[in-house]
This record gives sequence, structure tokens and C-alpha cells, in this order.
Amino acid sequence: MSQPVVLKSNPHGINLILDDRIPFQELLDEILHKFKESDKFFKNARIALSFEGRELSQEEELAIVDLISRNTSIDVVCILDNNSLRDEICARKIQEFDESQSGRTGEFYKGTLRSGQVIECKTSIVVLGDVNPGAKIIAKGNIVVLGSLRGNAYAGAAGDEHTFVAALDMDPVQIKIGNVIGRSSDRGPLSAIKNRRKTLEPQVAVVMDDSILIEPITSGLLMNI
Amino acid sequence: MSEVIVITSGKGGVGKTTTTANVGTGLAQLNKKVVLIDTDIGLRNLDVVMGLENRIVYNLVDVVEGNCRIKQALIKDKKYPNLFLLPSAQTRDKTSVTPEQMQKLVEELREEFDYILLDCPAGIEQGFKNAIAGADRALVVTTPEVSAIRDADRIIGLLEANEIKKIELIVNRLRMDMVKRGDMMSIEDVHEILAIDLIGAVPDDEQIVISTNQGEPLVGSDSLAGQAYLNICKRIMGEEVPLLDLESKNGVWSKFVSLFKKN
Repeated sequence: MSQPVVLKSNPHGINLILDDRIPFQELLDEILHKFKESDKFFKNARIALSFEGRELSQEEELAIVDLISRNTSIDVVCILDNNSLRDEICARKIQEFDESQSGRTGEFYKGTLRSGQVIECKTSIVVLGDVNPGAKIIAKGNIVVLGSLRGNAYAGAAGDEHTFVAALDMDPVQIKIGNVIGRSSDRGPLSAIKNRRKTLEPQVAVVMDDSILIEPITSGLLMNI
Repeated sequence: MSEVIVITSGKGGVGKTTTTANVGTGLAQLNKKVVLIDTDIGLRNLDVVMGLENRIVYNLVDVVEGNCRIKQALIKDKKYPNLFLLPSAQTRDKTSVTPEQMQKLVEELREEFDYILLDCPAGIEQGFKNAIAGADRALVVTTPEVSAIRDADRIIGLLEANEIKKIELIVNRLRMDMVKRGDMMSIEDVHEILAIDLIGAVPDDEQIVISTNQGEPLVGSDSLAGQAYLNICKRIMGEEVPLLDLESKNGVWSKFVSLFKKN
């Protein structure tokens, strides 16, 4: 490393990139030197400090903060943990957890979704109400509509084709599961309303042989999804 | 206690202005003090339907911009001294007024009037936002056509999102002969999709076209549409007028007729 200490600004404050080979006392002198150099620039600034390039003990971190506050007008508000590897692992774990849970956990939405309204959900969703034409539900998991599904439903939005869409009254404009899409038959909108089934029968849509299959809900079917 | 009611639909040409004119006139017939506000800035026509175009001096935008006092802009109806119109401006556009200004205007009018009816423009943009800003209650007008119903559904969603609690439906231009043949949606079909309270159904009636062209609302007249509008007015005031019995073998028409005979 050409310079033992480098100051780098970030949205929260300053990132200190430190050499991990020189002795700590020497490092402190270098830090002091750097801050003194730019003291006018930082005048009375309130910053968050983060460290990079060298593992520091808590005492060492405090020593650096103490040094800065005693010798400059900078107010160090806090020390930020700057470990990009840890951040990355955390983010990945959270994402993995979300994905593993998308088919298992769910949310409820109470009310009717009207034309133009969209719900997006990272898990499965149960709608207590109707989904009208022009409305849309997008879920990473399954979709259950306790009412009439007359709009668009998109289950397994992350690509999972083992999800399903179920509704008490299944009359959707479009259903998409994973990457498979199905649409309603080409009858006109009036006949769709006039010819709706007189007796309501709960139905479920699943993917079978790369197409959307809609069937009445039976106990045998429930075991298979 | 005054009530501010917006008449809206989303789609154009379904009868918002005709409904505003007739409901407003009907409420005036029932001895309420009523003001109609045309919020369709740039496409003014409530004044034409009311037959008051020749009396316009000041308009809504003049009031909002402080060019005149509210009293100066209000036009008294030809027949009913307790009915007033605040006309829209024809040479401006929707951006001339803000929702906050509308709210303020409506609050001022509340002190004077029992009912303030806002005739909303078609669409969901600025004009719609202005019209619903000060409203307590909404009448959503639709015809039994799929396109009008789709738009009405969208409008209901937006009204709900704006926390207008009382939203009621008027099904306009119903043709029972077509409904019977299965060529038109019935009130029941419409109601099933929109799922809000029905406050009235108005049959398709050529008398409406005639009265509109004459600039005299037909509410309360012998015509079926006239009776239907008067029933809506009574229901707005909280009176229990039976809704049309759709299950009866006689059908809607004879129900209309029988209601008319009772009166």
C-alpha cells in the first residue's frame, strides 16, 4: 500500500482505509496527520466513521475516535460496521430465507381489489374479497382468493412452477404460474358475465405439462400440490 | 347538516351531468336548498342542461381566483328559488384549480346549503381529484356496459383510497327489453361486480334526451326516468323507497309503473 491511511467519503461520513502491516502507534500518527491536513475541509462536520483494510479491536477503534475528537473539530457520531463480506452473506441468507418461506408463509388481504389496483407479495397471499377485472395479484408463493377471481393472478413470481392459484369462483382474465401463462377463452365480456357458472365451485389452477390446468378442488388434488 | 355529494363515473357519456341536473332539481323540489357545481373546467355543460347558460357572468375559476364573491357567481334556477348553479369556466383548464381550493370553496358553501352537488369530469386526473376533494359522499353513475363498469370499478377503488366512506351506485340507461333478451347486463349483474349499495336505476328514456335539449330537467315528471330520479332524491335524503324488485315476475317496468301509480 502506497499510503498507510486513506480517507474516503461515503454517504454517511468517512471510510478510513488502513494499512494492516504498520504498528498501531504509527498508524495513529498517520491518521492524525491526515485529519490535520483536511481539518479545514471537515470543519465542525458530524460524520459516521467506518474502517477498512485492518482488523481493529474495540480499544483501538476508540483510540482512533478519541484522537480525532481531541485534535480536530470533527464530531464522530458513530462507528459503522463496514464489512462488505458480512453484509453480502447477510443479504444472501435473508434472500434464501425469503425464498424458502415464499411457499410456506403468507399474508392476508381483506377487501376487494378493484380495477387498477395491484398487490405484490413476497410470500403466499389469501385475499378475503373479490379480484375484479383490471386488478392484479402478484405473489412469490401461492394465491388463494376467498371470493371471485375475475382479474389477473401471478403465482410463483420468482419462477416457481409448483405454486398454485385457488379461488372460490374462478373466472380470471389471466393466470400466470412461474413462467407459464394461461388466459380466458375468447368469449366477449358480456357473455363472460352472463354465462358465469350458476353454482359456485372452488377451483385451483396448477401447472401441468407446461400449461395451466384449472380443476375443481378435491381432496385427492390437494394431496398432490 | 349539509352534505357534499360528488357525481362521478370515470367513463364519459354515461350521464353524470344529466344525473347531477336531475338529482339537484329533485332535491330542490323536495324543499332542500341546493347548489350544483360544475367542476368540468374547460368542457362546461351543466349550465346548458339546466338551461342557464345565458345567465353566466362569473364562474368557478373567478371565485377561486378572487375575481368575484361566491354570491356573485351563483346562478339562481329559473323555476326553483332554492336551487343554484356555480358554472365552470370554459376558457381555462383543470389545472386552474387545486383540490385545496375546492375544499375551501365547498366548506364556505356548506353554511348556506343543505346539499352541494359536484358534477365531476370524466377521467381520473386533476379534474377528478378536484371534484372529490371536499366530498362526503359519492354517487357513481354507470351504464350496463362492460367498459363503463370497468371504469366505475376503478373509480370506486380511488374513492375508497381517498376515504370517501359513502359510495352508492346509479345504473343509468337500463333497457329491460335488452336485459330480458340477454343482450344487456341486468342490475343484478352490475351489482355483483361492483358490490356497492345501489341507490337507483334509471331506464333508458327518450324523454331524457328531449328534456336535456330543452334545458329543463325532467325529474318528478310523469316519465319513468323522471320518477326514477325522484326516488333517488328521496333515498339520498334517507327515505326508504323500495328498490326495484328484480325477482318479481312482472319485471322492472311494471314495478316502475306501480311505484308511479302509488304516487
